[in-house]
Amino acid sequence: MVKLTVNGKEVDVPAGTTILHAASAAGFSIPTFCYNPRMDPAGSCRICAVELEDSKRTVMGCITQVTEGMKVLTESSKVHEARKTNLELLLLHHPLDCPVCDCGGECPLQNMSFSYGGTDSRFESHRNDEPEDMKSEVLVFNSNRCILCGKCVRICDEIQDVHAIGFINRGFDTIIGPPLGKKLDCEFCGDCLEVCPTGAITDRFVRYQFRPWQMEKTETTCTSCSSGCRMVVDTENESIVRISSREGLGPNEGSICVVGRFGFNGVQSKSRLEAPHVKKAQRLVPSTWDEVLPELSTKLSAIISRGEGRVAGLASSRLPLEDAFLFQRFMRQVLKTNFLDSEARQGFMNMALPLVSATGSLRPMVDHEDIVKADLIVVLGADPAVESNITGLAIKKAVRKNRAALYLVHGRDVSISSRAREVIRLAPGYEAVFLRTLRETLSSGTNDLSSEVRVRLDGWGVNPDAFLRLVSDVKSSKRTIFVTGRRFHRSDAAFEASHELIRLMGERGLFASEGSGLFVLPESGNDLGVLMMGASFEWLPGLLETKNSEQRSVWENHWNTKLPSGGGGLREILGGIESGEIRALISFGVDPLRFLPDSAGVRKILSKLELIVVADLFQGPLADMAHYVLPAASSFERTGHMVSAEGFVQPLAPAMAPWGNALSEGNMILRLAAQMGCPLPFDSIEAVSAEIFRIFPDLRPSTRNASYFQGKTGEILLSIPRSQPPHKAERESVNSRMTDFLKQTPHPIAAPVVGDEVTKGENTFVMTLSKSINHAGTQTLLDSNLMTIEGEGFLRVPRQWARKMKLKKGACVSVSTSHGRISLPIDPVSGMAEGEVHFPFHFADARFMELFPGKVSFNAHSGAQSGQTIDVKVEPIA
Amino acid sequence: MLKKFLDTILFTEIGQGLKLTLRHMFMKKVTSQYPKEKLVLADGYRGFIAHRRYDDGVERCVGCDLCEAICPAKAIRVVSDIHPEIPDRRYAKEYTLDFTRCIFCGFCVVACPVNALSMTKEFAHSSFTRNGLIYSKEQMLALGDRAGADSDAYLKVRNMWEAENSGKDEGHYHFPPISLGG
Ligand code: SF4
Ligand code: SF4
Ligand code: SF4
Ligand code: SF4
Ligand code: SF4
Ligand code: FES
Repeated sequence: MVKLTVNGKEVDVPAGTTILHAASAAGFSIPTFCYNPRMDPAGSCRICAVELEDSKRTVMGCITQVTEGMKVLTESSKVHEARKTNLELLLLHHPLDCPVCDCGGECPLQNMSFSYGGTDSRFESHRNDEPEDMKSEVLVFNSNRCILCGKCVRICDEIQDVHAIGFINRGFDTIIGPPLGKKLDCEFCGDCLEVCPTGAITDRFVRYQFRPWQMEKTETTCTSCSSGCRMVVDTENESIVRISSREGLGPNEGSICVVGRFGFNGVQSKSRLEAPHVKKAQRLVPSTWDEVLPELSTKLSAIISRGEGRVAGLASSRLPLEDAFLFQRFMRQVLKTNFLDSEARQGFMNMALPLVSATGSLRPMVDHEDIVKADLIVVLGADPAVESNITGLAIKKAVRKNRAALYLVHGRDVSISSRAREVIRLAPGYEAVFLRTLRETLSSGTNDLSSEVRVRLDGWGVNPDAFLRLVSDVKSSKRTIFVTGRRFHRSDAAFEASHELIRLMGERGLFASEGSGLFVLPESGNDLGVLMMGASFEWLPGLLETKNSEQRSVWENHWNTKLPSGGGGLREILGGIESGEIRALISFGVDPLRFLPDSAGVRKILSKLELIVVADLFQGPLADMAHYVLPAASSFERTGHMVSAEGFVQPLAPAMAPWGNALSEGNMILRLAAQMGCPLPFDSIEAVSAEIFRIFPDLRPSTRNASYFQGKTGEILLSIPRSQPPHKAERESVNSRMTDFLKQTPHPIAAPVVGDEVTKGENTFVMTLSKSINHAGTQTLLDSNLMTIEGEGFLRVPRQWARKMKLKKGACVSVSTSHGRISLPIDPVSGMAEGEVHFPFHFADARFMELFPGKVSFNAHSGAQSGQTIDVKVEPIA
Repeated sequence: MLKKFLDTILFTEIGQGLKLTLRHMFMKKVTSQYPKEKLVLADGYRGFIAHRRYDDGVERCVGCDLCEAICPAKAIRVVSDIHPEIPDRRYAKEYTLDFTRCIFCGFCVVACPVNALSMTKEFAHSSFTRNGLIYSKEQMLALGDRAGADSDAYLKVRNMWEAENSGKDEGHYHFPPISLGG
């Protein structure tokens, strides 16, 4: 520890602390421009000058380390003089066009000039007058206003690891921008925009449209992916103007991705449903809640009077905890059915089922902080930076800062590939056999592969040497983290692969050792929470098993009712509808017609229903078939809590009033249940939260970095208590269950059968559906901002193939299977496996889905849809 | 004592008063026959607020929202945006000034960095409805066009003329050029 005084006040700080931190520990703040706690200090702006009393020198607070007995003055006249001169120099060529600068009003440079600057300058000089760089549709660079603090360049290099912008030229001519004067081409996270202390980088989507004092700020949680970013929504007159975050805020530490930052236009687009609609004479006509609810309740009551299990329910994984809790209770207690499912079934369930049976919990054992500290990170079938951006940042940081070994098992290069020690190419569907081979090799104790195994690996496209390096790294690593994602969870044998992975990790004791574990990337904002609340037929709230009568009775006693036990998920629901057993379907934001192949067949099945009720934000294919369409509130219009991939339970705060007559799903359910004469004992969503937190104390709100170092405009937004329940699963309880799990016999698995659909030939590829970084789900297709960034679905094909075929980006190819043929524009990308193409699923419309086999198939164990990967023939259109 | 007695019985005070009245009867009249006659107002008169234009007719306001920020009566509302015709020009898409709230303090004119606002010598605006006194930008520009030299005079006498020419680019507020090519 080093002892020093700051403005006469004594503090003890660890050696190596900078004066800036020591001063803040003593309760004094020092102004900064170029300093950001997340990045290495650069010392380029010189505004943080402080005086050392003994030597009478001014030094830079952000880069000077404390020494024993140092006497620091942060507000002496010498310091003020230094800051004033500094500002005079910073403003030497500054255009001072604050009136038209989008930073005005929240500009640290303005604020600092106001506090420390003079009213005049001793220097006579020209004002910068370079053209603004408006080549990009997203960000505008105005080099005239830049003070060259370098924060934008550093955040893009150090945090985002994208390296899209840099310093150009030298001296007075230095400007910031994409290299070689090109158009900005990056991930558009907007972090540079966020950290820039001036108006040198501004947001083109809302250019000239706002002033900070006109807007209200609401701190809330992003629901678009499982990262659970805390962000700040700026609204004016009940409409969202922009979304930002705050330096160091939340688990995301102030970074948000392109979807979170720019994807807010869809929810306020004209296509939002405003009023409840009811089908009359084959047409949906607008109505009111007071009319719709009694009608609906009569119809539902009539159907449930015929017996148990007559209604099926689907819930979106974006529903907050409260709404998911109400959903399943409504289905089970009021509608007397256990046919309920959530979007998680599509992929995440393949992992959730084995995980819960092995560890008893859905919570991760490791979080982003553990990822950063890991020695070895094995990413299986995931593109973390795209699926859960902040996890991607943590992995990048682990490699960059701590030299973690990164292995990527994927069919193509993803954004973290360049950081990977090895990229192991694995065709989709081979995950289970791959993991079994890995597990057997690890447990065999040998350090070599038999020729038979080598041949097998070769056959799957896996390089045996890379495989061996992975084996030896897993053996030697102390902190190993496996990460799984969309591609892994959605492959045909994903359930078996998850089993294998958990078994492998259990055998190697990775669940027991601190810092090691499995980090699963769910697909939607609240996959974890929705399942924890029992929105699946297998589980009751708290992951108690429905078919286990003892566990079921816990809730039966609590709710004082009899709960249905049979039921099923999507597969059984479709079966039940077909057989005529299920007569009504209620969908809260899930549209099977969008993601199931053979929509004509599914449509035919669904048309057997007596009653279809859809609650959603927008009209969709299922809503077109529905008898009642109810307008739902978006995540910006409701309260509730979301569980992030890290296990944090974070609140949503309404930033605007519900759109039109929209209601949140929870409120709809409360009103409908009351109308049906079985009111649920809650008068508001808050009452549901209170009940959930009372029963599950570990689900009380928790987050990281509720308070932060310094915000752009200085206000502190604190909404979460500091003392927090644990967000990670308890190792002890996990380990005790693990032993039982390892005793079970492994599932039989087999490598997928190859090439039965189309004759294997030159232009045949395996096509997977991938997530695009610029979209989340299908709703973002209605977002004008995100559609400006990515407005069309390109088929990603291997660059070498495109070159061979002499095809450029945007050229149309014909994609065919034995079921259908469509033409798609291509985007040649490097780093793809030879035989693979992929397509962003957001753009997979009904025509696209015709490529898939006519019959929907499901994984036998998990009921997840299989066959999401197909063989296609891709040919240039002559 | 005696004087007071005499004053009382001789009504001398009334005589004094009448003398004053008599004198005023022969003086030059100061009451003006408003509305037939118009007052001559001083250049610093704080009448209705007008929007000004550059000499070539382009409106000055850059939609910076500073007048809105400073207005103590919250009478101004500015909705800024990119100009639909002039590339990358900031302007006020909507501008409303609620003269029922305005206290004619003149702060907005002081705040305006581009001299887009000025107070005029117009004061007699009336309306049967409140809405009739909520002026749009177009109405305020018309006020400015009517006021002409008066608005310049106001700014001069209030020492705001200096800003008239600062940061100018061919008489307009200076926006940096833009580069769109790639
Ligand atoms: S960066 Fe700040 S100081 Fe510079 S013009 Fe913009 S608002 Fe004014
Ligand atoms: S653009 Fe902004 S963040 Fe980047 S160097 Fe300039 S002032 Fe700093
Ligand atoms: S989409 Fe995910 S990474 Fe992006 S802001 Fe939202 S929660 Fe964060
Ligand atoms: S004169 Fe004063 S009260 Fe009236 S609009 Fe201007 S600032 Fe507001
Ligand atoms: S201060 Fe002047 S330029 Fe700015 S919005 Fe008001 S009138 Fe327009
Ligand atoms: S903050 Fe210390 S030099 Fe910039």
